[in-house]
Amino acid sequence: MISDEREVLIERVVTAHRSRDPFDALKPEPAFYDLDEAGRREAYARTVQTRLLEAALDEAGLSSTGRAVLARIAHG
Amino acid sequence: MDLDVHLEAIVAGDVQAFARWVAGAEPAVRGHLLRFASEVDVEIVVQEALLRAWQLAPKVERDHRGNCLLRFTLRAAHNLAIDELRRRQREVLRSPNDAELPIDPVEPDPLLRRAVEECQQALPRNPARALAARCEAHGLESDEQIAERIGMKLNTLLKNFGRARRFLLECLERRGIRLGGELSA
Repeated sequence: MISDEREVLIERVVTAHRSRDPFDALKPEPAFYDLDEAGRREAYARTVQTRLLEAALDEAGLSSTGRAVLARIAHG
Repeated sequence: MDLDVHLEAIVAGDVQAFARWVAGAEPAVRGHLLRFASEVDVEIVVQEALLRAWQLAPKVERDHRGNCLLRFTLRAAHNLAIDELRRRQREVLRSPNDAELPIDPVEPDPLLRRAVEECQQALPRNPARALAARCEAHGLESDEQIAERIGMKLNTLLKNFGRARRFLLECLERRGIRLGGELSA
């Protein structure tokens, strides 16, 4: 896999957005399965850093993960 | 720090109290799932586990050790991750007992917040746009939707977001702040 393609796949996994199945359960990001094990661990590490940055920039200290969960609660 | 200070209000249905709990608990939940990172999409497990914390908080048994809701959520996250593994017919891992669970909630850090904000102000234009757009999306928009909203090609958005994160991390490191470095692959 070329470096550019790998970078894009990793960044796709880093987002907190996940689509849902017909039973309202979150579906894994397809790009996750296109990465090898090292790529998945890299995506995890970048996600940890990204969520810390997001939380630091959010007035309530919430990352995009926290915001997504609260939105699910708000929308029932 | 005992995040159970929010538990009574959470049980009463106070979403703002739950938001404060999430802010402190999420890093611990994600950190607990490190061992699954190469097998399971950890993001969905974190979100589902946090949602269960909200739904099942009234049933959580309290004890003298504190962080009862967080410990419950760590166990839920572990079990959800194993469910994901089972779906993919991988090996089943035993559940940890409480003594093995790292309880490490985070507290708000105003100094970190100020440092990140100052670094953010120095971001080049396009990485700044990509970062702001994803933060505003709150995990509710796909990258395709975000790219369309700000008039950027999808791959350009993703690369700019990566540049923004690297820029911020390097800026923080110059200030002696290292974020999540111990987890790097």
